[in-house]
Amino acid sequence: MRTLTEAERRRAFASSRKPEIAARQRLPVRYHVEDFEVADRPRRFLQAMAAILKHTHYRLALDHYARVSAKCARCTAQCQIYLATGDPRDVPCYRSELLLSVYRRHFTLAGVLRGRLLGDPGLSDRQVQEMAESFYNCTACRRCWLECPMGIDHGLITHLGRYILSEIGIAPRALVVSTREQLAGATGNTSAIPVPALLDSLEFLSEEMEEAKGIEIPFPVDRQGARYLFLAPVSDFLMEADTLMGIAAVFRATGDSWTLGTGYYDAINYGLFYNDQVLEHVLRKIRREAERLGVEAIVIGECGHASRTAKQFYPTYCGGREALPVLNIMEYTHQAWKQGRLRLRADAISEPVTYHDPCNLARLGWIVEQPRELLRAFCARYVEMTPGGRENICCGGGGGTVSIDEIRPYRMLVGGRAKAEQIRATGARYCVAPCANCKKQLRELAEEYGLECEIVGLHDLLYKAIIFDRESEYGG
Amino acid sequence: MEFWLELGRGPLFRLAFALMVLGLGRIVVLTLAGALEAWRRSPDRMVDWRQVVRRTAEWLIPVNRLWRRRPLYSTISLAFHIGLLAVPPFLAAHILLWERSTGLSWAALPQAAADGLTLAVIVSALLLVTGRLAGSTARAISRRQDYLWPLLLATPFASGYACSNLRLGPASYQALMLVHVYSGDLVMALIPFTKIAHCVLAPLSQLVTALAWKFPVGAGDRVAATLGYGDRPSWLEGARSAGPAPAAARSAQEVCAR
Repeated sequence: MRTLTEAERRRAFASSRKPEIAARQRLPVRYHVEDFEVADRPRRFLQAMAAILKHTHYRLALDHYARVSAKCARCTAQCQIYLATGDPRDVPCYRSELLLSVYRRHFTLAGVLRGRLLGDPGLSDRQVQEMAESFYNCTACRRCWLECPMGIDHGLITHLGRYILSEIGIAPRALVVSTREQLAGATGNTSAIPVPALLDSLEFLSEEMEEAKGIEIPFPVDRQGARYLFLAPVSDFLMEADTLMGIAAVFRATGDSWTLGTGYYDAINYGLFYNDQVLEHVLRKIRREAERLGVEAIVIGECGHASRTAKQFYPTYCGGREALPVLNIMEYTHQAWKQGRLRLRADAISEPVTYHDPCNLARLGWIVEQPRELLRAFCARYVEMTPGGRENICCGGGGGTVSIDEIRPYRMLVGGRAKAEQIRATGARYCVAPCANCKKQLRELAEEYGLECEIVGLHDLLYKAIIFDRESEYGG
Repeated sequence: MEFWLELGRGPLFRLAFALMVLGLGRIVVLTLAGALEAWRRSPDRMVDWRQVVRRTAEWLIPVNRLWRRRPLYSTISLAFHIGLLAVPPFLAAHILLWERSTGLSWAALPQAAADGLTLAVIVSALLLVTGRLAGSTARAISRRQDYLWPLLLATPFASGYACSNLRLGPASYQALMLVHVYSGDLVMALIPFTKIAHCVLAPLSQLVTALAWKFPVGAGDRVAATLGYGDRPSWLEGARSAGPAPAAARSAQEVCAR
């Protein structure tokens, strides 16, 4: 992959922030930040870091990574950001060192002693600024982790770095404002969709489906004792009608009882991107709704980060081993198809189709084969992207960056360049991206790079292939 | 000269060896204790052990992953590591010394293999340093110790090779042997305190990472409370902008000490 030209670089890194705000906040980053206390920032950063290390397990990782980091630069071959910019500051190991060096200097005995002896004043405001910039240039895709012989998870460091920054008030406004609505707002979800509007759009979708398929395909709401509680990334109700219809159709075909809850219906959890307290409080909302409706399992819609947060952290925060099981909708659909409870028309899609792995689903090998098996079952021409699966390339909007509209040029020219080239090379007519964030980023990429490829969800296409048993009664 | 040589081979060797073994033992125990603590405090205690083992093996036995990217660098680095690990404990001359002082002995590498591996270490160390110096990206992320370590590690190999393979006069032989012994002692003494500690820590990385993603329940609330923001979580408007630092906030040292 060639690196950016000078003109592209200028465009990618241009800031739309007002210079007086950047100066007032002493923060030369490209994302908008709400006003916060600027004075004494390094000290407050260290306070926040100390408090976090005290109450969490991050010290285990920091201590270990600080010891083993060998600066071998193998990760350069994996990082799409570095490959696009060619800037050493974008090497994953360099990025992590920003925080590891603070840890060594201020939180290890040797570092504190050396600092005293050499008269090193310690963390500077410049360093805080560099971290604020750097940790949001990373998409937290964790591909570098696969390539690190020392096993350093740079994605974890990015996560921790952003968490500390958020505790001193530095976090992208786009993420904070959505979270505010979700945790303290009247609607209680990130897109501020009120319940009546939700019900309206569900009714509309049901009518659409009845017209198209000739059968009633409902979106059950608040059904006590349903087997599955379904939560979509709430933006789907505004932007991904086809995905939702496909999902409702799958449940209609299998006959399993499922429900949405009007008490809480948003799977999005930006906590993964910037703050552990947010992470926990959002999951508690899911738990309250699941308990209110008395469901047996939680199904998360087509969304990478929402699925991973629920899968990985729901047991952590909501009951340990006794917590309700969490499924991604593709796991559910795949299972039903395997069991013969969902029948798909072979060759329902004749155009070439490819599959983009969302990092949060594929990196650990959780959901790799399931969607591929489904796609092969109803697509005449399925083509692979290379690399794919665990080794997939991020869409370039990961780690919450896709929600930050003001850094779109960066996402297009730096973050997403590798992905755009990869999609073009497949020659596919449809690119299946089962993640709300990936879809948004990939659609913007398709526009930017003129890709003749429609970005869809898995269930958008599956909807066209489902064979309904018209005799069967809805229910179950 | 003889005195210094005996000092380096005898008491100083024992000291350096003890430092290495105890130092490495200490950090392994500390890491495992930290991992156990994290596992205990994790409410679900669900760890994907298969993944941890698989990923650990992938790098310990690098037959598959290593070659996929940067094959030249991988080859050089692998040669370097094999020589480093195999020659010092399995060189016939070293085993003889162990046998003399402890009575223990074990199988030795054939001399030709040991010589070959030694040369490989010397050459690959030089190549690794050259590679670091040559690439602007590698230079940008390198610290002083990253250049010094390959050279320091190669020093006992080069001097040892010269002593056993070159026809040297007694004075230069002794001088080189002195370099060999003291550089070897220095390396052993430094290992636990530097990045070379990865020789025992790298196999624990996947375990550490898996457990580091296990967050304790309520940690986020406790962090906010410790910082004096108990009633102002980060999502509230103006949560971190209002006026002076809250009263409950303490200095980093105080927080750590508590």
